[in-house]
Amino acid sequence: MKYKSILLSIPLILCSLLTFGQDNITVSGTVTDEAGGPLPGASVVLQNTTNGIQTDFDGNFTLSNVPVNGTLVFSYVGFASQEIPVNGNTTINVVLLEDAQALEEVVVVGYGTQKKADLTSAIATIASEDLQKTPSAQVVQGFQGKVAGVQINSAGAPGDTPEVNIRGINSLYGNSAPLFVVDGMFYDNIDFLNASEIKNVSVLKDASASAIYGVRAANGVVLVTTKGGSFNRNAEIQYSTYYGVQQAQNVLQMANAEQFTGFAYESGSESEIASIEQAIQRFGRSRINPDIPDVNTDWYKQVLRKAEILNHDIQVDGGSESVAYSVGGNIFHQDGILDMKNSFKRFNLRAKVDAKATDWLTVGANMLYSNSVRYDDEGGAWQLTYYAVPILPVFDNAFTNADPTPYSDAREVGYRDSQNPFPLLDNSDKRRDRRRTTLNFYGDFHIIPERLNFKSTISYNYRADNERNILLPYYVTDDYQRSVENSTISNNNRVREDYIWDNVLTYNKNFDDHDLTLMAGTSFRDERQNYFGTRGNFDPSGAFVRDNEKTWYIVNTAEDSRVSYNSPNNNDLGENFQFYGFSYFGRASYKYKNRYIAYATYRSEGSNKYDETYVHLPAFGLGWVVSEEPFFKGGDVVDFLKLRAGWGRLANDAVPASIPKSAVTVTSIFDDTQVTGSQFSTASDDLGWEYTEEMNFGLSSTLFNNKLSLEADYFIKDTENLAIPVLPLIGTEVSFQNVGSVRNKGFEVSASWNGKISEKFGYTLSGNFSTIDNEVTDLLGQPFINRGVAEFRQRLVVGQPINVFYGWDLDKVYQNDAEIAADPVAQAAIAEGTEIKPGYFKFKDNNNNGVLDAEDRSYLGSPVPTYYYGGSLGLNYSNWQLSMDFYGQGGNVILNRNRAEVIRTQGRNIDAELAKNRWHGEGTTNEFPSSEGYRQLWNQRMSNFWLEKGDFFRIQNIQLAYTLAVDKLPEFRFTLTADRPFMWTRDFNGFNPEVGFDGVDLQTYPIASVYSFGVNVKF
Amino acid sequence: MKNKILKITFIAAITIIAGCSSELNEDQELVVESGEIDYSSAEGALGALVGAYEKFQNVGWEQIPLLSVRGDDVNAGGLGDQAGFDDTDSFIYDNTYWMYRVFWENWFQDALQITAQMEQLERFREEGVDSRLIDQYIAECKTLRGYITLQLSKMYGDVFKVESTDQTILEVLPKNEIVQWVSSQMDEAVPMLLDMHPNQRTDIPGGMTKYTALAVKAMANLELENYQAVADAAGEIINSQKFELFPDFYELFNIPGKLCNENILEIQYSDFGQSSGENVRHLWNFYAPQGFTPAVAGADNGGWGFYEPSMKFIKFMLDRGESIRLETSVLFTDRGITEIQADPAYTDLPSFVSNTTRDGDVINDYARALFASGKHFLPTVQLTPGRTDIGTNNNYTVIRYAEVLLMYAEALTRGASGSAGSADDAVNQIRLRAGMDALSGVTSEDVMDEKLAELAMEWGIRYFDMVRLGETGELAYDGRNFDADKKFLPYPQDVLDQNYILREYYENNN
Repeated sequence: MKYKSILLSIPLILCSLLTFGQDNITVSGTVTDEAGGPLPGASVVLQNTTNGIQTDFDGNFTLSNVPVNGTLVFSYVGFASQEIPVNGNTTINVVLLEDAQALEEVVVVGYGTQKKADLTSAIATIASEDLQKTPSAQVVQGFQGKVAGVQINSAGAPGDTPEVNIRGINSLYGNSAPLFVVDGMFYDNIDFLNASEIKNVSVLKDASASAIYGVRAANGVVLVTTKGGSFNRNAEIQYSTYYGVQQAQNVLQMANAEQFTGFAYESGSESEIASIEQAIQRFGRSRINPDIPDVNTDWYKQVLRKAEILNHDIQVDGGSESVAYSVGGNIFHQDGILDMKNSFKRFNLRAKVDAKATDWLTVGANMLYSNSVRYDDEGGAWQLTYYAVPILPVFDNAFTNADPTPYSDAREVGYRDSQNPFPLLDNSDKRRDRRRTTLNFYGDFHIIPERLNFKSTISYNYRADNERNILLPYYVTDDYQRSVENSTISNNNRVREDYIWDNVLTYNKNFDDHDLTLMAGTSFRDERQNYFGTRGNFDPSGAFVRDNEKTWYIVNTAEDSRVSYNSPNNNDLGENFQFYGFSYFGRASYKYKNRYIAYATYRSEGSNKYDETYVHLPAFGLGWVVSEEPFFKGGDVVDFLKLRAGWGRLANDAVPASIPKSAVTVTSIFDDTQVTGSQFSTASDDLGWEYTEEMNFGLSSTLFNNKLSLEADYFIKDTENLAIPVLPLIGTEVSFQNVGSVRNKGFEVSASWNGKISEKFGYTLSGNFSTIDNEVTDLLGQPFINRGVAEFRQRLVVGQPINVFYGWDLDKVYQNDAEIAADPVAQAAIAEGTEIKPGYFKFKDNNNNGVLDAEDRSYLGSPVPTYYYGGSLGLNYSNWQLSMDFYGQGGNVILNRNRAEVIRTQGRNIDAELAKNRWHGEGTTNEFPSSEGYRQLWNQRMSNFWLEKGDFFRIQNIQLAYTLAVDKLPEFRFTLTADRPFMWTRDFNGFNPEVGFDGVDLQTYPIASVYSFGVNVKF
Repeated sequence: MKNKILKITFIAAITIIAGCSSELNEDQELVVESGEIDYSSAEGALGALVGAYEKFQNVGWEQIPLLSVRGDDVNAGGLGDQAGFDDTDSFIYDNTYWMYRVFWENWFQDALQITAQMEQLERFREEGVDSRLIDQYIAECKTLRGYITLQLSKMYGDVFKVESTDQTILEVLPKNEIVQWVSSQMDEAVPMLLDMHPNQRTDIPGGMTKYTALAVKAMANLELENYQAVADAAGEIINSQKFELFPDFYELFNIPGKLCNENILEIQYSDFGQSSGENVRHLWNFYAPQGFTPAVAGADNGGWGFYEPSMKFIKFMLDRGESIRLETSVLFTDRGITEIQADPAYTDLPSFVSNTTRDGDVINDYARALFASGKHFLPTVQLTPGRTDIGTNNNYTVIRYAEVLLMYAEALTRGASGSAGSADDAVNQIRLRAGMDALSGVTSEDVMDEKLAELAMEWGIRYFDMVRLGETGELAYDGRNFDADKKFLPYPQDVLDQNYILREYYENNN
């Protein structure tokens, strides 16, 4: 195509103009790999100049203005660079060899970069291409299974960001999320980035790597560099898109009308049976089975839908001799699989420019604008759906006055609640608008070229949130409605502004066998946020109209109903803050003979958040490249072997400072008048810093001509002064105290193999496996601290993992009266008045005292997975590529809180598993109670009946890609992707075993499978 | 070259100097003590007192029923739902049942919160608020806390004395000692409190006065079987002549009874007389019958049916020839009426025994129960127009003068001497209002019967009377087994786990 050659020739013309008048020649040739395959995009640069070009799709290049005695440098990612003297040749063909030292790779570390070969700490990287396989708005979703030691807990709701945990839970207050650093700015998450905008990701896993980031780094650090241009490279225009359909995966089976009715009759509960009779009267009798109502609603089927996901992305990048640029934008849209106004839409624009202003100064700017609109799901609907009885239809046309929809009402047939989730789904509107602008400017001063550098960077982040929550009116009957005056709007604004100003001085010196880098810097941080909201009830005599969004404003609320507040909780100012931080930090790394590596960092951090203004955080590392030793004999098999060890100390500023608690404003009623009062705290906090110290031992190796690369790490991470909400001896108000110590330790192994069967046929295999052994090591002498809710107790207890479940051990189910009569424990309970029948649980009398009592309880399992693994298999044949990723985790138990909610309310649906497997006669089961037993306190006590194994294995992603590269045409790449298409669980009765680190499954948004088709075009 | 280094040094110096800022000494956060309490203002002190009342007034829906369900006057409804509540009614206690814990936690939190308010009130005194006023406010708090502690002790037996927010000095006292402590707290409070009917207060209408404290004192001493002290405290209330029985027993429990001269303490609610907007209400649904047909179309009929007057009580009332009190206390379903008539002795029933109430609400049959409590049901005709929620705008009566009269009468029949008239006088006042003939020479037994007829379904009064008197036979009705071991609820398992002081006490005393 003509325009392409014009584009290609522009820099050439520029170059020739600039070098006009010299005695130069034009050199052309082809760059290929060992097999003779062309290497498109390889870089050809005249040494010590900025005169260079990239090869075209066939590996060809033409470079003019080359001095006859010059030297050309040929380089390509993953291949060893070559320097070839021109010697007057006008044709130079080059064969690049695959890089023997893939470890020459440079890795982004805190405030700088390091060669991967020189690392002594546990740092993992994720390639941008791997992230782009996952059709999701959330970049971190793509991390799942890719990195040992990094655990991702998927989020299902559109716009929701998955939980990220690095190396175990080491803080209970706030979240366990790592710090994200995007081009120098600190973030709590990166939900605003599209995978296509990311150049690379480094995960700083251990304390020796992350300590340089100070008090925000207690949970590890994820460094993200966004895409930029390159100097001396032709513009590349790239457009990509994908379209997909999402579908709920592993939909939970609930009891159908027949199962439910059978279960209800077996319960012996008069009210349950009466409701079924009433349902038959109201909705008719099934002709197939006259004992059940003529309704069989699968509520999950009703509330779930197929939903689309769509992404468009365009980017232009390139650069001239002194300016490199990258400009792009994308639009992402996703509907939720919950059948309501539930979606996420994001529009991003970005630009990054780097300019060599003078020979001693490089300046740059980077900006990103992100605009998203999200309609949140109505979280309460999930539980309603679970509990809604199948003998209730969605609509009930007997309600002739209903407006707009005659929703059915379970109260009509005797249940306590209306149960139908649709009034909630159809009449909630939760819109969240988010606008974000991030800016980043730097000046890089090359004081002594290649030796001494000073870089000053200012980063800025502005985020404005507007949340609008509407509850719309509806009418079914007089006592099943939301009147206009009870319909509400709340409109909340949150504005956040952060600055970070980093100044970093870096010094490099290589002499003889010594390699030295010194870095010192300061960082100033300013974070502030303001929150303001107003809510009100709509005024029936005002302009509000249910179906006209233009009337959904505060002005249309009744004036006396309006309330404004500075926090979602009304009573505090937690959403308003103003933090300053100032830090000094430094790093020294030294390498001798490429064999011995020493590394140290230090950060001294000050903050206005705590009384103790400064904390001091050192870290060290040592590395030994065994394979460089003269005595090393592994030459044929082992190409590279490094042993490394590191130690670091972290502090956590997510722990709140001990703020004297403010009085809470309350109102009470006296003689029909509201009187305002205040309540004072009954428990005071006593908080200081949490500290974490971590040791890491690892090895990095490549073998078999670099076909196999291997990384293994072992770490021990001790967190002291763990801040915990401590329940009081009496009353309910918790206080925060630094009373715990916890240890996380684990192994991480990752390996990858690159193989080639023939020229056209290659394959890759990779996998990683991580373990986490979490244990509470001290509670300041207290035997345990209660966690979770009282009826389903979890505990902190020395020697057990955090939040371990605590209760009775299920032994079996009593099958007949004889078994009950023969069991002294059952007899003791019966003597106390408790009824025990066949079909009831037999629990273990662990202390053998003949009575089932509190002393029989034991620890029933960890809510946090103890192992997880991921892997991928890639095949490429000619222009075809096939990849398959998988992920699994387990070792944990999950509390089936949905099923267990029977302890509070009955007359609700049950899961099909329970309905099918219930005890219903001698020999039917030893694991499930009878329907009657399910309702009795004896069986409802916390036991492993409510706990399910969390182990699962999932196919994360299958992608088939075809690249169409025809000369003179843009390059097309087509992809077919199935994301998370299959999952196998061991023993789990919910949608998604990734329930969060508390281990409680109450209402999680299901994870959808996505089937998508994508196209990528490069000009 | 030199020029360049100078330039760079200059720029670097400026940036670094600018970076060393003084912001670290700025205020931590924008968090301020909300409302900035002014400890020198009487208004602020009143706010602290209101905070104490609020804690008491926001009692959860499940807590009063748990306190009340075990008597022979009332059964747990539900039939298969809330097995733990039902078991409690049958004296089968499982200490992992959530209601036991919630009651314990919340009522102790109330006691603790009120104590925190008292400690803060001392700060107001230090900052110059009228010391006499602070004394009064603290005495009001003491009265509230005393009432709460008394109920905790009736429920669980030996419980904590909460006198400070410092939890390290908590102490469990044997039941008699803790109840004695409540009584002495009332002695401290009485002289500091206002001498008026609570409904005469203008600052906090319905708040604590001298007479509330005296009533609590009488209740505590009744529990201690210290009948002379009962007679003295109750007598003082009677002699004040500030209280009188509300003439209409049926309306006493409805809107007309709000803050009437009979009521000594109420949990107050309101819809402010408005058809919409703010509405602070009790969750009366727990008590109300399921699916009744309201006289006012559109009124919520979604009761839960968990609170059923016992057949024993109904027959007791029929035997006595009660009309107004039976009609007020019980809502009848047709199914329930048939069940009464199944007993040949009760085939002929008075006309008010009907599934249609005098205000036209129709109580349809429902599975959970045969009857519902009329005292806990507001006729729908009394709903503020526009409001539909069950019982909206009605108060929850806690202590009423009738109970004081009957405590006085009981004390006298058990040997105490009284200065406020005879036991006959007290009992007959009550009987008169109920349309019953006067008695003379009332015995203890007469008074206990009168208490059942008058105070049934209210606050477990009947249950705690029977327990106090050791009348276990009365409680073992309809197939229930009761013995003295069952009188207290067990300490909730979760509390035993959590609270090492209680655990040690429990282990040393069991």
